[in-house]
Amino acid sequence: MLDILSLLDISFFLLAALGALVGIIFGAIPGMTATMAVAVCLPLTYALGLNHGLALLLGLYVGGISGGMVPAVLLNIPGTPSSITTTFDGYPMAQKGEGERALKVCVVASLVGGLLSAAVLFLFAPLLAEFSIKFSYVEKFLIILLALTVIASMSRNMLVGIFSGVLGIWLSLIGTYSISDGGNGHTRLMFDFLEPYLFDGFSLLPVLIGIFGIATILLEAEEGIKGGLGGKHVEFGKGSGFSFGLFKGRLTNLVRSSFIGTFVGMLPGVGGSAASVLAYTQEKNLARDSSEMGKGAPQGLIASESANNALTGGALIPLLSLGIPGDSTTAVLIGAFTLQGIQVGPLFIPENADTWYVMMTALVFANVVMFFLMFYAIKHIAKVVLVPKYILYPIIVMMCVVGAYAINYGIMFDVWTLLIFGVLGYLIQKVGLEVAPLIIGFILGGQAEVYFVKSLESFGTYSIFFTKSPIAVVLWLLIAASVAFSVIISLKGRAKRQAEAF
Amino acid sequence: MSMPSIYKTLGTSVLMAGMAFGGSAAMAADAHLPGNVRVVIGSTSTGGDTYQNSSIVADALAKHLDINMKVDAVGASSAFRFLDRDPRGNTLMIFHDQSYLGNLYGVEGYSDIFDKYTIGPTVAINPGNAYLVPKDSPYQTLDDVIEAVGNGEEVRVAIQPGGVSEIGFSALKNAIALEHPGMEDNLVAVNTGSQADKNQQLFDGQADMINGTVQANEQYTRLPADDQKAMRFLWLTARESTIAQAPEDGLGQTTREQLLQYVEPNVTVPMGNGDNFTFDKEFFFLFNKDMDPAIVDQIDQALTEIYADGEIQETQKNAFFIPDFKPSDEAAEYLETKMSVYKDIITNIQ
Amino acid sequence: MESGLSSLLSVSIDFETSHLFFPHIIHWLLGGLFALILVFNVVPFLVAVRRGEKTLPILGESMDKFRFFGTLALIAAYFYLMSVVGNLFPYTGYGFLFVSMPFLLLMSLMYMHTRTTRKVITAAINALVAPTLAWFILAKLFQITLP
Repeated sequence: MLDILSLLDISFFLLAALGALVGIIFGAIPGMTATMAVAVCLPLTYALGLNHGLALLLGLYVGGISGGMVPAVLLNIPGTPSSITTTFDGYPMAQKGEGERALKVCVVASLVGGLLSAAVLFLFAPLLAEFSIKFSYVEKFLIILLALTVIASMSRNMLVGIFSGVLGIWLSLIGTYSISDGGNGHTRLMFDFLEPYLFDGFSLLPVLIGIFGIATILLEAEEGIKGGLGGKHVEFGKGSGFSFGLFKGRLTNLVRSSFIGTFVGMLPGVGGSAASVLAYTQEKNLARDSSEMGKGAPQGLIASESANNALTGGALIPLLSLGIPGDSTTAVLIGAFTLQGIQVGPLFIPENADTWYVMMTALVFANVVMFFLMFYAIKHIAKVVLVPKYILYPIIVMMCVVGAYAINYGIMFDVWTLLIFGVLGYLIQKVGLEVAPLIIGFILGGQAEVYFVKSLESFGTYSIFFTKSPIAVVLWLLIAASVAFSVIISLKGRAKRQAEAF
Repeated sequence: MSMPSIYKTLGTSVLMAGMAFGGSAAMAADAHLPGNVRVVIGSTSTGGDTYQNSSIVADALAKHLDINMKVDAVGASSAFRFLDRDPRGNTLMIFHDQSYLGNLYGVEGYSDIFDKYTIGPTVAINPGNAYLVPKDSPYQTLDDVIEAVGNGEEVRVAIQPGGVSEIGFSALKNAIALEHPGMEDNLVAVNTGSQADKNQQLFDGQADMINGTVQANEQYTRLPADDQKAMRFLWLTARESTIAQAPEDGLGQTTREQLLQYVEPNVTVPMGNGDNFTFDKEFFFLFNKDMDPAIVDQIDQALTEIYADGEIQETQKNAFFIPDFKPSDEAAEYLETKMSVYKDIITNIQ
Repeated sequence: MESGLSSLLSVSIDFETSHLFFPHIIHWLLGGLFALILVFNVVPFLVAVRRGEKTLPILGESMDKFRFFGTLALIAAYFYLMSVVGNLFPYTGYGFLFVSMPFLLLMSLMYMHTRTTRKVITAAINALVAPTLAWFILAKLFQITLP
């Protein structure tokens, strides 16, 4: 143990803190992600050496995932894909003048999610890795299906919501059936002349910030850009303030969402955004009263943010105990290890015990730093909504451009995607389709295809989805429950509206 | 980054902004690499071997020529498009054998690189391409696999279709067709994606053999036999001479000596022309066809000096790459010959 | 019976056309749902429009045409010019830097309802400082490729 202490000097902690800070800034810029933060700082780690380098990178990772909450709450633009569900309740709160309160809820939830998943990582990594390889294409497809059931429970009109969701899936299929997923590399759903642009399909992040950010600006422009961002008369700092009492009775939600986040993070290939969507679905289904979710309920923020920060610990599980990245950021981390001549794989933890403890220290420390940095800076960050729109909106467009262009390391079509989906998002809302289900369909569509088609290719029968394993059966039960809950909720809502009408 | 260096960066950038307006016309007249060069690569991953290897080379070149060079992981189809549009030399590409294998396998988005681009120097080899079986597999050697398939047994191999991951599989299929004509269809490809997916197919019992790499799978081969995840190398596709240049300690706890057991001539996959099949994943530059040949010469020259220095080889070997510098002309001829061998194999088994 | 069910469920996917398998399913789903929506939502809505109870989206609504179409035109011009200018100075980020400045200024001016000197000066300073800061930090310090 003493050996390890000697590896942790002042600069180790300073680097982790610096990483968290820079990560938060990256995450807070719409379009800049934790992955990008880690990627641009990767070359620095060579000069820093392994332990210091890891401190910086893990700080960036934690900060980057957390920072996404800021634009999600204040501007209705998910800063990272996994903060999509944060916009559902965060933005309505910000519009009511409760931006600061919403952000503080998010920060606390993030800290709990981050620390819980770090604890799970530390205690159960090899065990969970063993469990995670029980999830083949079939089970992964069912997990995606479970996450998709959220569409039914969160749409205002179930029929329209499901249609929007399927439309989102359709949009996600444009492009090639990618070889890197084991597909045959053929393009579909497009005209030949579009092929140079749409070969790889629409990228997730530009679609997200287009449909949220640019569409919001278009809707406002149509109204003539009036008033401040926070709506009519936001009296800042007034309204109900933040207190830890908000978490009373929310402990189950907090713990459940953190575990869902960790669990989804640990499944390689199942993207991070599925984590917060899944946690949000479960809170919606299982909470005693979820009728306010989507209109500005702190419980939605708790579910979303604790799950997305829990991803960090979760995604490190397969990385460190199988050598397989759990998400795109950890995929870049592999680069950091190989740069230092260290292999990750099933023997990483036993063979590199020092590095393992160092990483855990950095991870926990980065979470704590993230918490203090954000909790005390929020008061000031939240004032963004007081900036007049004629200054703020042009800056948002500019930053969206930077993010979209940089996400795939410099592709101009991604910038045009912003405009395409900005206009599409505007039209969708005008004709009464629903944006949130559409986006969730878009996020999960590609994975749904690969897992579905690959399962059938291997087994050649639809019945495999029911008979593959006990895990599959459990997942079907969860799916059935989720659908049943959303039907009940929707019927209740209708009955309530009718009762009010009379 | 320390404060003084920020000022320095700021100073240089202001200076450069000025120069860009004044001097861009003058720069175009001399044919050498412009001051801002972007190296696009055929992979979208910044954690993978293409990115790492390209960074090593780009950093060395940038330092040697005192210019800005930046590696961008834009992916194959975008990278080719960027290269198509820029004959000025601001955009260069680094990729590996996938660039022509994709075309041979008829994957959309790949055209004939020997026709469409100028082939630049090769820089390194990733010697890790491997085929593995579960530790408790009945197949002890690759010959066992060939024999089993020849006897009508079905063997499923998890690969990523359309390139580097498939070529070894194709060669194996070809060898079976030669030794046991008509039985080669019993060697079945399980088309899948990332290394994680391939491993998963093995754990699930949906594949009997997988394509993998020494780097990603070495630790799995050291797991105890009763572990469901334990694997065993059957075959490394690299040439013997390539592995022989690897560091003596090999990778992880598998030494060079041990790795050499799995390469030709210990493991043989005949091609029918008296030679055995080998495959080295080589990284090389691709240039726009209309780029000034003087720039190609400049890059060749610079790399020759860099490799003469000897420092880059150390960096490459540390990252388990085998240095393999060939100037453009030599590289073009070499790669075209290499391509034609694989072309024959792929046509044979169709 | 058993074998009938299992043959009903069995499916074989040809790898060469596997890229169309899932999209086919999605097309059928989309088509079916669209028909349902047509019957349950669109037709009643159009009837209501006919009776004058509701108005058509977009067409029937009042809008600030100048700001709406101005925004669209400005953004399109911004994206287009950025890559044109950027191409003159490859991989320096100048395209982003020099096109962002007028874009920010014009968009600010368009969104202002009253143009006092103070507001215009604030917008102008913002138009100079914000792109420069973004460019310097991202393109220079972090070496991210910008147009």
